[in-house]
Amino acid sequence: MSLKTFRGGIHPPENKEPTRDLPIERVPTPKSVVIHLTQAIGAQNQPLIKVGDRVLKGQKIGDVQACPAAAIHASITGIVKKIEPAPQSNLKDGMAVFIEADGTDETAYMLPLDAFVCSREEAIKRVRDAGVVGMGGASFPTDVKLAPPADKPVDIIIANGAECEPYLTIDYRTMMESPADIVEGLAIAAHIVGASKAYIAIESNKADALPVIEEQFAGHSHGILMGTIIAATKYPEGGEKMLIKAATGREVPSHGLPADIGVIVQNVGTLKAIKEAFADGKPLTERGFTVSGGACKTPKNLYAPIGTVLADLVPDVIQISDDVRKVLFGGPMMGVAVPSLQIPIAKGTSGILFFTAAESRQYEERQCIRCGRCADACPAQLMPMLMNAALLSDDLNRADAIGLVDCFECGACSYVCPARIPLTQQFKLGKDLLRNQRAKEARHGK
Amino acid sequence: MENKPMKLVLSGAPHFVTGNDIQKTMGMVIIALLPALAGGVYFFGPRALLVTAVSIVSAVSAEFLFRKALRRETHVSDLSAVVTGMLLALILPVSAPLWMAAVGSAFGIVVAKELFGGLGGNFANPALVGRAVLLMSWPAFMTRWSPSLHAAAVDATTTATPLGILKLGGTLADVMKSVGASGKSALYLQMFLGNRAGSIGETSALLLLLGAAFLVVTRVIDLRTPVAMIVAVFAASWLFGRDPVFSVLAGGILLGAFFMATDYVTTPVTPIGKWAFGIGAGLMTVLIRQLGNFPEGVTYGILLMNVVVPYLDKIIPRKFGFVKPRKVNA
Repeated sequence: MSLKTFRGGIHPPENKEPTRDLPIERVPTPKSVVIHLTQAIGAQNQPLIKVGDRVLKGQKIGDVQACPAAAIHASITGIVKKIEPAPQSNLKDGMAVFIEADGTDETAYMLPLDAFVCSREEAIKRVRDAGVVGMGGASFPTDVKLAPPADKPVDIIIANGAECEPYLTIDYRTMMESPADIVEGLAIAAHIVGASKAYIAIESNKADALPVIEEQFAGHSHGILMGTIIAATKYPEGGEKMLIKAATGREVPSHGLPADIGVIVQNVGTLKAIKEAFADGKPLTERGFTVSGGACKTPKNLYAPIGTVLADLVPDVIQISDDVRKVLFGGPMMGVAVPSLQIPIAKGTSGILFFTAAESRQYEERQCIRCGRCADACPAQLMPMLMNAALLSDDLNRADAIGLVDCFECGACSYVCPARIPLTQQFKLGKDLLRNQRAKEARHGK
Repeated sequence: MENKPMKLVLSGAPHFVTGNDIQKTMGMVIIALLPALAGGVYFFGPRALLVTAVSIVSAVSAEFLFRKALRRETHVSDLSAVVTGMLLALILPVSAPLWMAAVGSAFGIVVAKELFGGLGGNFANPALVGRAVLLMSWPAFMTRWSPSLHAAAVDATTTATPLGILKLGGTLADVMKSVGASGKSALYLQMFLGNRAGSIGETSALLLLLGAAFLVVTRVIDLRTPVAMIVAVFAASWLFGRDPVFSVLAGGILLGAFFMATDYVTTPVTPIGKWAFGIGAGLMTVLIRQLGNFPEGVTYGILLMNVVVPYLDKIIPRKFGFVKPRKVNA
């Protein structure tokens, strides 16, 4: 059987064995949490509480009247100790609410809501009030995705269980342990956007999750036509555009959105959060993530309140070896290396990896030899070596013409480069420079 | 653990990298050239090995000394100079004076490669530049061909290559006589095996294809350029009334197509550019053979195409999700 896939991509070592078969463990409620007020792409939230207030788990503590934005909630019950900037996993200090637990577990959840009875507006408002964002790592507000413009009807919704990042197994475990929640969430999301078909897409290395999920179709599909798709195990199969191409053959237009071609993709963890927001009235205050890497002595899948500071999990929950040289939030391909353990778990944290010195090896960069491997690997079918050459000669317009903006920073080009050129980093920088230049041009009325 | 300060590395994503680097890539090319080199030793004797050794040592030392003199980091461990030295030797006659091999190699490395910034900066293939310079400076040495030691009719210490025979007004029948073949298919067979006069590594199609297959299977080279070049040579030769099969097997077409026209640095990266490069190099080669003073044109054919690579690289392929902007009617 030839598996569905996209053109390009790479096959890095999967390294999923250490945690693949480990059930998700709930960590003991931490004594304190640091919850960043803004954890989604979009507008900055304002605090709704003051220092000294008692807040309940599930209580909204930050929001803003803007779109896109996602509300933020207390993840433990306790007292607000301070509201001040704190380091976060994107390496920027953001305004954060410090809450100290008072030992009770009172909650302030919303009332359950039946997504299939309430109006579409009510349903979208519920997703927004629950602060649900894309949990695959992008942290885009889910309610915005579920409300595409009226002239862009969506007929297909895809649950993304591809989890193509090496090491990470949290989506796989969620599928194995909460298949009913995912199918229920998928049905709700399909109902909200009016999609007639819903698919769960996974990579072939997780094929054993499919029967587990299919078993739930009968009880939880709410009459929506559901199916499963096995895509090739290849990075970045779980990239939104790649998965849509593999599953439907449709291509998201350059500079466009999936809704432009009638498709919406939601991570399986996000779907579970949607289900909980309706069935339990529970906002997104906790999430699962994988802990792994060569310097991690206790690889596992954990479930912790948002805002749990990594340092508080060491060494009771996570033990790391002395030769740790790199700590990553996210996977090895797109994750961020952080400078310390004083970083809280965020809504977008899908994994935390600890790398040894050997795994953190830095390579000497050489001149491009134009071997073309980056172009073969690029899932966006760009010419990274030519974009790099254009950027090196400060020709932003040329880089733009070749497709700089179409780069979604998956890291495949850097991975294959025999000259060890940090291409992905170059393009991130180039995109920033281009944005600045365009803004400058706009100011000068060009 | 908790209070001990950690020394953590910060770096941009991705935090994973393939084990394949420049050194390994060049190493594969060297392995792929070994059959052709072995063929050179078999057909022309152990001196082939000596010429190759001198050429490699000269290339590597030239790169090392030049970069040292300019106080730059030396990169000889990337093996690219070894490839250049090896390639140059394979396109020299076995009788080439050793000093000449050394000069050609050093010239290619210093002038064609290092003066342009080293590996990745050069626009022309260093080995071909080296050969072109030798051909212009010492044409007599460069056209003194030894017959294959295993040819049926060895009665001279020097001879002409099959293409040389044609250029001097000879016919295919004369070529058959020179390799001791009794008919056309016997001629093709002898040429396929490499049992003919020519440069050290160019004669055996069999051994070159063996090496090329290795590079294709290991995905070091892309087949587009060599296929385009061979097809172009075949078609253009046939149009000129030359025997197309003979034309592809003769001279340095296969060595050039699989090992020079696939040189990463000096050939296009775009798919259409690769096709165009191959076709152009093939056409130029045949035009030189047919109309020029030289019997063979692979060196200049490829070098000429090296020059237009920046233009060929402007033909970028379709991007994912790219929709042609609709023309607005005025």
